Amino acid sequence: MAIIEVKGLSKNFKVKMKEKGLKGSIKSIFKPKYKIVKAVRNISFDVEKGEIIAFIGPNGAGKSTTIKMMTSILYPDKGTIKVMSYDPIKDRKKLSYEIGTVFGQKEQLWTHLTPYDNFKFFGAIYDLPDSVIEKKIEELNMLFELEEFINTPVRNLSLGQRIRCEIAAALIHEPKILFLDEPTIGLDPVVKENIRTFIKRMNKEFKTTIFLTSHDIGDIEKLCKRVIIINDGQIVLDDTMDNLKYHYLNKKIVEAKMKERINLDDEDGINILKDKGYNLKIEVDTTKRSVADALKLLNPDNIIDINISNIPLEDIISNIYKNKD
Amino acid sequence: MRKYAFIIKTQVMSNLQYVFNLIFNYISYFIILFIFFNIWQYIYSDSTNLINGYNLNQMTWYVVITEIIWMTLNGRKFCIQISNDVKSGNITYNINKPYNYIGYVLSTHLGDILIRIGIYSILGVLTGFLFLGRFPDLNIFSVIIVIITIFLALIISTLLITFIGLFSFFIEDSGPFYWVYSKLILVFGTMFPIEFFPSIIQKILNFSPVYVVSYGPAKLFVDFSWNNAISIIIAQLIYLAIAYLMCYLLYKKGVKKINVNGG
Amino acid sequence: MLTAAKNQLKVTKLSIKYAVMREMLNKTTFVSNIIFMILNNACMIIQWIVLFSLKDNVGGYTFQQILLLWGMSSGVYGVAHFFFDKAFSLANTINSGKLDAYIVQPKNVLLSAITSNVKVSAIGDIIFAFVMYFIYGFNITTFILYILFLITGGLILVAVSIIFNSLSFWFNNTDMVSDTVNSLMVNFSTYPEGIFKGITKILLFTIIPVGIANYIPIKIITEFNIYLFIINISVCLLLILISFIIFYKGLKKYSSSNLMSARI
Repeated sequence: MAIIEVKGLSKNFKVKMKEKGLKGSIKSIFKPKYKIVKAVRNISFDVEKGEIIAFIGPNGAGKSTTIKMMTSILYPDKGTIKVMSYDPIKDRKKLSYEIGTVFGQKEQLWTHLTPYDNFKFFGAIYDLPDSVIEKKIEELNMLFELEEFINTPVRNLSLGQRIRCEIAAALIHEPKILFLDEPTIGLDPVVKENIRTFIKRMNKEFKTTIFLTSHDIGDIEKLCKRVIIINDGQIVLDDTMDNLKYHYLNKKIVEAKMKERINLDDEDGINILKDKGYNLKIEVDTTKRSVADALKLLNPDNIIDINISNIPLEDIISNIYKNKD
Repeated sequence: MRKYAFIIKTQVMSNLQYVFNLIFNYISYFIILFIFFNIWQYIYSDSTNLINGYNLNQMTWYVVITEIIWMTLNGRKFCIQISNDVKSGNITYNINKPYNYIGYVLSTHLGDILIRIGIYSILGVLTGFLFLGRFPDLNIFSVIIVIITIFLALIISTLLITFIGLFSFFIEDSGPFYWVYSKLILVFGTMFPIEFFPSIIQKILNFSPVYVVSYGPAKLFVDFSWNNAISIIIAQLIYLAIAYLMCYLLYKKGVKKINVNGG
Repeated sequence: MLTAAKNQLKVTKLSIKYAVMREMLNKTTFVSNIIFMILNNACMIIQWIVLFSLKDNVGGYTFQQILLLWGMSSGVYGVAHFFFDKAFSLANTINSGKLDAYIVQPKNVLLSAITSNVKVSAIGDIIFAFVMYFIYGFNITTFILYILFLITGGLILVAVSIIFNSLSFWFNNTDMVSDTVNSLMVNFSTYPEGIFKGITKILLFTIIPVGIANYIPIKIITEFNIYLFIINISVCLLLILISFIIFYKGLKKYSSSNLMSARI
C-alpha cells in the first residue's frame, strides 16, 4: 500500500514582470503584467512505506514546490495528493502529527535555546506528555550522538551539529514520514557524509519513510533505493538506484595534476576530456574499469593533486533526454 | 542633449521607489499635523485670539515647520544605524581611513537629508496652506534666514543623534536614550513654542538644544525679527561647535575602549 | 475540542516564555528598555499640562480623563506588542516564506506566527497604563473593566494589523500600507475624540477603529453604559473573526519563498 500518492499535480506561480525604462516602472505600478511560471507540471508518483526515496533535480526544477505541496505549505493548482491517506490541504493538522520536516535552508529551532529546550518545545507542539518527551529525547540523543552539545545554545553550534539537531527535532513526535529538503546544502563533504550516516541509521532504527530532495548526487547514491529525477517541473526518470547507477552513474570524473605526461589514448574504459600538459581530466567508465585501476594507470607516485567526482546532475539529465529520443 | 535626458531618467527611476516610500511616510506626518490643526482650532475658539503672543495661523505654521524638520531628520533610523555601526564593529574599519568618522557620518546623512528636505518642504508647505489658506508675513530676507537656520538645525541634530548613537560603545543599546531625547525635543520644541511654558522652564529651554534645533527656525518663520535671527544663529553656531566636539571626544574614547578590549 | 484549545494555549505560553528568555539574555538592555519606555510615555504628559493651562477641557475631556486615555492607549499598544508583536510585521513573515515552519506544525498557523516574538519595551507601556489608572482613581469595578478593555483594545489593534498585513498574500509592497494604518491607530488613540469632527470621526469608528478600542472604554469607565460595552466586545470579536478569515483565505495564495527563486 502506498504511503504517498501523487496524481496529476500542477502548480503555477504568477510573477510580476517589470518592463524596461521609466515608462515600464510607472506602468508596472498601475497596470502590472504577470508572467506565469509553471513550477510543477502534471506529475504523478507513489511512495511505498519504509522507502528512502530521492527527489532530485537542478535548482528551480520544482523539487521544493512539490515537497511543499505534500506538506500543506503550498496549495496545488491541479491534481491530488494523499499522504497517509490525508489530503494535505484539508487535513493539515491531522497530517502534521504524522510527518516531520527539515528544510536545510530554514531553521526551525530557536537559536538562543539549547537543543534540549527546543526538543521540549517541539514535544509540546505535538501534545506529548513530559515523560514521553524525556524518553524520546534520550533516544534521539543516543541515535544522533548529541550528548556533547545538547545543553549548548543552538547559535553556538556548528552547521553540521545544527542540522543534526534539526533532524532530531523533526523526529520528536515519531513521524511516519520524514521530508528532508536539501538537508546537506552548504555543508562540507565530511559533515555531509556524517549526516548521511545518521539519516541511514534513523531509517533503520525507526523504519521511517524518508522523502529527500537534493541536487547533490552524492546524497542519493549513498542513501536511496529509488530515485525520481525532476527537471523543468516534469518527472524525467523514476527508477531504482541500481538502474540509475548502471545506466548513468557508471562514470566518474578524475582530474589530476601530474609530474610527468602520461599517454592514456588507447586505454579501454577511459575517455580523455582534457589533456593540457600536466593537467589531465578523464572520464572513467566503471562498468569497464574500476577507479582504483584507473589510478594505477596514472601511477600514484606521479600524482601531485587529484580530485574524483561524479558527473554533474545536469549531464545525467541531458543524457536521459538523449536516450529517450 | 539626449544622453543627459537619459541620465536624468535613470536617476528618476532609481529614486521612484524611494519617493514612493517618502510619500507613504508623509501620510503619517500629515495625520500628526491634522491632529494638531484640530487641537488648535478647538483651543482657539476664536481665530483672532492671541495665546502667548501667537494667533491660530502662526501656531499652525509653527508646527508645520517643526514637523518638516522632524520628518526630514528621520532621527530614529539614523540613530539605529550609528548604533549598529558601533555594535557590528563596522566602525573599526573607519579608524584607519584617511577621513574622520564624524565627518563621514555627517556628510552621508546630510546627503539623505537634502533629498528629503526638498520633498517634505513642498508637501509640508502645501499642507499648511491647505489647512489655513494663507502664509504668515514673510519677505525674501526672512525666508533666506529661515532656510539657513533650518539647515543649521539639521546639522546640529545630526551631530547630537550621532553623539547618542556613539553611546553604544559603552552600553549595548543606546535606543532608549534616543527615545527620551526625541520625546523631549518633541514636547518642548515641536508641538509648542517655548513661550507656552512657565518662565523658569523658558529660561532653561532658551539654553537647551530645543532652542537651536526646532524652536529657532520655526519662530523666525512665523514671527520674524532681526534681533531673534541674530541670537538664534549665534546660538546655533555655538551649539554646532559644542556638539561636534562632544562627538569627537566620545568617538575617541570609544575607539580607545575598542583598542584596549581588542574589539 | 477543549484539549485542543488547552494544548494550543500551552504552546502559545511556552512560545512567549522562550521569547522573553531570549530578550532577557542581556539584563541591562531588558531593564533599560522598560524604564525608558515609561519615561518616554511620561514625557507626553507635559503636552497636556500645557494644553490644559490654556483651557479647562480639551475635546470634552478633563485632565484626569486625558491621563486615563494616555494610559489606555499605551496599555493597548503594550498588550498588542508584548504578546503579538509579530502581527505588526506579518507581511514580512509572509513575503520571506517564514510561514512554512508554522504550517507544518499541528497548531494554529496564525497564532504561532504572531506569538514568536515579544517586544520588551511593551512591558513599560503596560506598567505606564496601570500607573495612569491609579492616578485616575482606583475602584474595583473600573479596574476590572480597565484590564478587560486593555485586552479587547490590544486585540482590536492586532486584528486590524493582521487584516492589512494579510494583503501581502495578494499584492506586493503592502507593508507600507499596514505600517501606515498602524501608526494612524496609535496617533489618533492619544487624542480626545472631541477635537475631531465629521468624516474624521466616522473614520475613527470604522476603518481606523480607535474610537471603539479607546474612546468607548473611557466613556464606559467614566459612566457605565451597557450598549457601548456590548459594542466594544462585539467589534473586538468581529474583527478577530475577520482577521482569521482573511488570513486563511490568503494562506491559499501563499507562495512560500518560491516566488523569490522563480525571479532569479
